[in-house]
Amino acid sequence: MRGGVTTVFFKEMRDILRDRKTLLLMILLPIVVVPLLLNSLISFVMEQQKEAETEVLEYVIFGEEHAPDLARAFAETKRLKKTTIESQEKLVAAIRSDEIDFGIVIPENAASRLAEKSQATVELHFDNASSGSRVESRVDDVVDEYNEELTKARLIELGVTSSRKRRAVLEPVRLSEKGTGDIREVLGDNVGGMLPYFFIAFCFMGVVYPAIHLGAGEKERGTLETLLLAPIPRHQIVLGKFLAVFSGGIIAVLLNIASLGTWIAIKAGQLRGTLGTMIGSIGWLDLTLLALMLVPVAAMFASLLLSVSIYARNSPEASSLISPFGIVMIVPAVLAMLPGVELNWFWASIPVTNISLAMKELVKGTMDYTMLLAIFGSSTLIAGLLLFFCTRWFNRESVLFRM
Amino acid sequence: MLQLSAITKTFRLAKRRKAAEEAVDPRERGRTFYALDGIDLEIPNGGVLGLLGQNGAGKTTLLRILSTSLKPSSGVVLCDGEDLTKNPLEIRRRIGFVSGNTGLYGRLTAREMLQYYGRLHGMQTEMLRERIDELSATLDMGAFLDRRNETFSSGMRQKVSIARALIHDPEILLFDELTTGLDVAAAESVLAVVEMCRERNKTVLFSTHHMDEVDQLCDRVAILHAGRLCFEGDADGMRQQAGESFLDKAFLKIIRAEPGEVAA
Repeated sequence: MRGGVTTVFFKEMRDILRDRKTLLLMILLPIVVVPLLLNSLISFVMEQQKEAETEVLEYVIFGEEHAPDLARAFAETKRLKKTTIESQEKLVAAIRSDEIDFGIVIPENAASRLAEKSQATVELHFDNASSGSRVESRVDDVVDEYNEELTKARLIELGVTSSRKRRAVLEPVRLSEKGTGDIREVLGDNVGGMLPYFFIAFCFMGVVYPAIHLGAGEKERGTLETLLLAPIPRHQIVLGKFLAVFSGGIIAVLLNIASLGTWIAIKAGQLRGTLGTMIGSIGWLDLTLLALMLVPVAAMFASLLLSVSIYARNSPEASSLISPFGIVMIVPAVLAMLPGVELNWFWASIPVTNISLAMKELVKGTMDYTMLLAIFGSSTLIAGLLLFFCTRWFNRESVLFRM
Repeated sequence: MLQLSAITKTFRLAKRRKAAEEAVDPRERGRTFYALDGIDLEIPNGGVLGLLGQNGAGKTTLLRILSTSLKPSSGVVLCDGEDLTKNPLEIRRRIGFVSGNTGLYGRLTAREMLQYYGRLHGMQTEMLRERIDELSATLDMGAFLDRRNETFSSGMRQKVSIARALIHDPEILLFDELTTGLDVAAAESVLAVVEMCRERNKTVLFSTHHMDEVDQLCDRVAILHAGRLCFEGDADGMRQQAGESFLDKAFLKIIRAEPGEVAA
């Protein structure tokens, strides 16, 4: 014979798993979305890189005769194509209409300034609202190279002949950076902040529909009253329901992580360079720990949303009461992405943020495992308190028979 | 025997109504609403008690208190001498409750739902299987026992609800407006269950608005009006007290004689 908790739990799971909407949010989305999202992101980055390597920028140059060497440097640079427009007055219009990518204007005094070894100013006109960075960096490269040649010639004229002396003149003090973080740590710091957000969001989504269905849904269907007449203590009913809602979150998270793990296993071999190295360095142990971190989060969400749901008169009211929690849930997860927010004893006690920070550390490979215990402890305590509150809430006539 | 002594049930109103509205319902006193006010009633074991009253008279609240889903604000309910509020789990094993608003789990089949409630009542698998077969035969549910509840008509739903309330073979049955919304044929088969319960010497509390059902089924009648008990006796007693031969007219005459009745 089953106990009250298991009877309620198995019935609720059967009920949940027969709902298509819940299945979509709890099973299909977690499996599909993360690989799709990561694939799209990587494809986009690679496409951008490829485009940057192959794209030919068209430009016009005015005042070429005032700095012919510089004009030649542009002309000889690969993937820069010189073209012409009617007049300098139409330069801005030509850039705005995408007829050309940029324009160089060399003023009349440039020749004399260069000749007398002064500094000449050359204007770069470009659309800094859309294609700014790619134009700027390519033009910078050309001008830098030209400047280097000119500087070298000027220094030789001043008697600074060896390259070593030239470096000493140009850069008396050189900062030699010795970063201690390995590639996984550096990239994990950037990417690791994003992953918890996804996992927490999916955990929340996995919990929402079961919570609404098993709380407000019972009132709406008129089944709550008959369930309350079962000869089992109320806390057993709550625990059975809580376990079913909690399982919804855990199933979503596990599928999410399994899907990510499979994606990593496939992609790590395909991707080269630092990205491939970083992805390859995340192992199944890290992913298992990630999943474990989300257990108390799912418990917190399940207790909280079940309490809100049982308070609501019906499913639409429950949905509208739960919606703000979706936004509130994001805030602590986003906090973990802010610069300067690092895992310490203070942050280890802040719910959701602590989990996000710990997950970031796990991805970076720099987790302090003593902190892990503190995080589990505080999160489990909060989840327990919320569950206790939920049980008390379930015993109140004013909540169950709210008019 | 069920014994109700000075049962009062109050609810806190969301906000104080305007003085003009307050005067309409004498049961609202400040922010408190008196759903039941000092009910004394004795219900002997066996037989059918018809609970009559207008909408909002307090019938459902009274049945909810007897079913232990609500606690009385004051007063005592004894079931064979045992206080209902002291040991509700034990009382729940002896009670079955069905209302016209009782719902079903749409994604479960009728059989799965009966199994669920049977397990909650601690029934063993074999005993449960036999009981479901028995109820299925009694209520003529064989054709739809393994179909999902969401596909059922009102009559089929009410049969499943009744089977659910009877699954643990309770001694006391609380039926709240059982035939509301049912067609004649469905209502007849549902009333046959009440008849069957009486034959098996179950104690049945049966709230209804249909006086023909009272005439047909009830051994005794209690009338609630504005949260108070205003008549207790049998159908003939109702007729005699009101001086009317038709039961519906007798009912109206009795409640209209009560203080606080609003003229139609």
